[in-house]
Amino acid sequence: MTRRRAGLPYALPLVAFLAALFLVPLVRLLRLSFSPVDAFNAALPGFTFEQYARVFTEPYFYGSLLRTLATALLVAVLCVALAYPAAYLLARRRPGVLRTLLFVIVISPLLTSVVVRTYGWVVLLSGNGLVNRALVGSGLRDQPAQLLTSYPAVVVAVTHVLLPFAIIPLTTALGGLDRNLHRASQTLGAGPIRTFLRVTVPLSLPGAVTGALIVFALAMGIYITPLLVGGVTQPLTGIRVYDQVTTVFDYPVAAALSFALLALTVVSTGLLAGVFRIWERRLHG
Amino acid sequence: MGERGYDRIVRLVAAALAALVFLFLIAPLVVLVTSSFNQAGSMAFPPSGLSLRWYAEVLGSPDWQVSFRLSGLLVLLVVPTTVVIGTLAAYGLTQGSFPGRRLLQGFALSPLMVPEIIVALGLLYYFHGVGLVNSVTGLWLAHSLVALPFVVRAVMVSAAQLDPALERAALSLGAGRVRVFLTVTLPLLRPGILAGAILAAVTSLGEVAVTALVAGANTTTVPLRIFSAVQYQLDPSMAAVSTLLMAASVVVMVVADRFARISEAL
Repeated sequence: MTRRRAGLPYALPLVAFLAALFLVPLVRLLRLSFSPVDAFNAALPGFTFEQYARVFTEPYFYGSLLRTLATALLVAVLCVALAYPAAYLLARRRPGVLRTLLFVIVISPLLTSVVVRTYGWVVLLSGNGLVNRALVGSGLRDQPAQLLTSYPAVVVAVTHVLLPFAIIPLTTALGGLDRNLHRASQTLGAGPIRTFLRVTVPLSLPGAVTGALIVFALAMGIYITPLLVGGVTQPLTGIRVYDQVTTVFDYPVAAALSFALLALTVVSTGLLAGVFRIWERRLHG
Repeated sequence: MGERGYDRIVRLVAAALAALVFLFLIAPLVVLVTSSFNQAGSMAFPPSGLSLRWYAEVLGSPDWQVSFRLSGLLVLLVVPTTVVIGTLAAYGLTQGSFPGRRLLQGFALSPLMVPEIIVALGLLYYFHGVGLVNSVTGLWLAHSLVALPFVVRAVMVSAAQLDPALERAALSLGAGRVRVFLTVTLPLLRPGILAGAILAAVTSLGEVAVTALVAGANTTTVPLRIFSAVQYQLDPSMAAVSTLLMAASVVVMVVADRFARISEAL
């Protein structure tokens, strides 16, 4: 009945823009990662796996890939765990001032530069920062701890930066739940914890999985936050790439390391999505 | 009886956990804003006395002034660029039907999926070749690339709810395609366009992952200047700039909100 609407011409400026500034740079970077180099790391014509060989044999590089993967998994788990109580409260609150306020708190980190958010953690965790004052003041430690430039600081700050990405989809999923199911479970004798684990969690799983996957993928590539709170020696791939480019000027190795990270991100996100899908199918029969 | 008490305890514990999570989210920002008013020269928290000296210092510094102007200029360039390209694309991708539409939708959002360090490195290497490193044009293009997927996604939400019958009605009443797009389609897409514009402005104002690699000595944006400073020194002037940057984001949102309501009333 209705005329088929073309639509494609409207998307052409976007296609041209992305081709010029996204595809072409990535393809050139990929080409560079396979280029032989001279003594000054300048690319020569030809084809070599030398960069990739370095990335997969030097622990400095492949160790960072493994550490990045482990960190991204840890951060995704932490974000979902922290998102549940927050999203639950947000979803169950009736619209009003408090709910708006809570929502603003959730999205405020998204509207604030990642540098500013991270800087807040630098202040909190510094030698005479609030956390150290609390530690010393409460007698838990007799002198300030070296919290900055530590791996736990990286995990805390990255979790903070990415937490909204877990809370938002989970709030949507929890908000769509039928409250009667909750009541039914309670009348059938399940306590609140059992109801949460057997009813709420399975039904909100798609939201939690979406959040976990987004957080995981973003955590794989994040580098400003870990660099600022953890320092340039943290064995994370983003930091290693940044370091290769800004201090060693070794672009080809940085390119190979980047594509190794991209491949690892795509493969592990796909695997996680698959595992979650099987889990969901088991739960819902 | 005992069961009711148990329920209440579980509920209280859940609420306390939620409160802790919200505290965790807001704490770094509160600490930052508070310490920007600190009288002393250290980042001590809580502050020893209130003063605006760090704001005066920052606003009086020529270096920071250059950065403020640059960040402002970039917002003025990035928002129109991404809104025009993104709105057209979102409209075509949701309302059109052509082969490869799904694929193209994925492509439009793909810069979000690629780890930020790779986008940054790709642009750096590319910009090196074409002489765009350390240039305003380079940053304009880079910020637009990062902000574009957010605009496309925001406008797509509005475009998906668009009723084609309204456009057909205008067409049958004799309006040309361009006139229909400008007077019927665009006003209907306004909530999404506005949300997209806000996201683009906020993204450009705060962008640093790509900026840190493609900017140079002459193109130091506000967040990049904070980034460089935080690695070497800690003083309340940085907290003052951070607070100003946050305030700028809030202003962008409030102004946009105002603007939208005014035009709705008209």
